[in-house]
Amino acid sequence: MMNKRAILGMLSIAAALAAGATSAADDAMVKKDLTAVIALQGLPCGQVTEVKTLGENDHMASCQDGNRYHVFINAQGRVVAQKQ
Amino acid sequence: MVYAALLAAGCAGVKPSAAPAPSAAPVTPSVAEPAKSGPPAAASAPAVTAPPTSPAAAPAPPAQTAARPPAPEAKAPAKTAAAPVAAATKAAPPAEAAKPKAPPLDLKALEANLKETKAIGVLTKLSLKNQVDDLLAQFRAFYQGKLKTTLAELRRPFDLLVLKLLALLQDSDPSLAAAIIASREAIWGILSDPVKFASLNGG
Repeated sequence: MMNKRAILGMLSIAAALAAGATSAADDAMVKKDLTAVIALQGLPCGQVTEVKTLGENDHMASCQDGNRYHVFINAQGRVVAQKQ
Repeated sequence: MVYAALLAAGCAGVKPSAAPAPSAAPVTPSVAEPAKSGPPAAASAPAVTAPPTSPAAAPAPPAQTAARPPAPEAKAPAKTAAAPVAAATKAAPPAEAAKPKAPPLDLKALEANLKETKAIGVLTKLSLKNQVDDLLAQFRAFYQGKLKTTLAELRRPFDLLVLKLLALLQDSDPSLAAAIIASREAIWGILSDPVKFASLNGG
């Protein structure tokens, strides 16, 4: 009985760790994506250091150099990076 | 596909300056036609910066050119002054072999690979698509006479866009980056030709 509990506990910890790792990887992907988008628009940023997700394909990105951009897809289907 | 892309990219570094084709062309007009089946843009391929793999990819003569030599030899006896002509035709096959192979331009596959690659994110892909659409709109306006510019001027944004794409892909998806390098001049060949550009828009 104790063994089963111990195994279940370890499994739940492993799952939590895996979820955390996935989330961190996703976060890194989003930062990389936004960094590329801002660079493609020719805007100053360096690297995106912090992201606040406002909705689907709608983010507030904080840059290494202190700039902040609202990155979203407008009604025309264009990716827009608006300096805040 | 990747090998073909690397092969073409490597061949892109070979200068076609040693091609005495004009002298051989009048002698074998009927044979020369099938050999020209490649895209015309291949001739301008050396403008592309060749990747470091170029020497390895160079020795790959196309199968069609290997079959060429017998035809000129069969024609040679018919002429009285055959000796200089035969020499000219004999010099032609190595030049043909040294010619850069046509880039493996498959726009559909390239587009599909760009859509599928995990090297760049969704927003980046959409942003790139926006910029490609903008460039195509510029070409459309140019061919319709609405945009007063030159093809040389339009080459700059094209090159810039390719560079952006390569910068995004070269580390995470080098094979796709190589495919783009290999297809670069062929794509420009389509964009800079009004007829091909029109067919691109129609298709």
